[in-house]
Amino acid sequence: MTYKYTLELLAGIAIIAFCALFLYTSATMSGAEFAGSDNVGSGLIAELSGIPLENFQPLIPQWEPPSGEIESCLFALQAAIGGILIGGVFGFWFGQARRKTAE
Amino acid sequence: MHIMEGFLPWQWCLVWWIIALPCLMLGIYQLKKVLNGDREALPLLGVTGGFIFILSSLKLPSVTGSCSHPTGTGLSTISFGPWITAVVCAIVLLFQSLFLAHGGLSVLGANIVSMGIVGPLVGYGIYRLLRDTSVNIYITVFLVTALADMFTYVTTSLELALAYPAETGGLVSSFILFMGIFAVTQVPLAIVEGIVLALVFKYILTLKPDILIRLGVFSKEKIEAARSEI
Repeated sequence: MTYKYTLELLAGIAIIAFCALFLYTSATMSGAEFAGSDNVGSGLIAELSGIPLENFQPLIPQWEPPSGEIESCLFALQAAIGGILIGGVFGFWFGQARRKTAE
Repeated sequence: MHIMEGFLPWQWCLVWWIIALPCLMLGIYQLKKVLNGDREALPLLGVTGGFIFILSSLKLPSVTGSCSHPTGTGLSTISFGPWITAVVCAIVLLFQSLFLAHGGLSVLGANIVSMGIVGPLVGYGIYRLLRDTSVNIYITVFLVTALADMFTYVTTSLELALAYPAETGGLVSSFILFMGIFAVTQVPLAIVEGIVLALVFKYILTLKPDILIRLGVFSKEKIEAARSEI
């Protein structure tokens, strides 16, 4: 099996280009707040329906994270769950593959 | 792609729930069958599901000056099909509606339809179209992932346009407005996501080709060819 790193290289370039694009937009675009597109969408709903944003009440009562810190904590938790799953399984597969070659 | 709680009239919430529920039931049924049939499928489900967890928690900045998150559904769609993917997405979206106030219980149906059903279905269509052709596996993974991501956001735009047609121009002009917010922001994210997940697929291919062959994801010949290729 020959190792070539074409995909790694492409992924690296894509990520760097993405970061460069972000730096460029954040430096040149005035009024770019980088708010979530979900919230921008909600703003448009208010505009289209003519109902003020505050008047949209949850249909089913909903718990909201009391602050941005707690929200980012829970988002990090979500990513951590994913990371543990992926890391665990790749480690498991790696061990399996090594044992197979050792036999 | 989340529609926020309270931002969809209850009639539409009901419509999307009615569409989502049978898909979820089919997904749970398929999931049981796959896991009972092959114990090695569980780790693969862990990896592909793990990427949905991670990627949907990353809110990335985009060229439009707003942030949005990728969906990560491509790998799961290729490995297990759209219905099982819908079940994993439902779990993630439930977590986000209960603890993060992203989406909500009434709009959960609509959000499952966009992220878990339509996006993956489009991706699955592309995969089935390209699977038995000579198109490179990694290009297939890239296209499936990027398009599943894009069409998730197109669906969200459509869901909102259906509920809120503009006074002048109606559904179409409202759809274009929502596409301007959701889909345009998503283009660079979808491209990066596609390349990154194609790279991840390479590692799965390298470490565990047998499970992909047993699940019939790609033919044996094609997997062997891809392994020696890159």
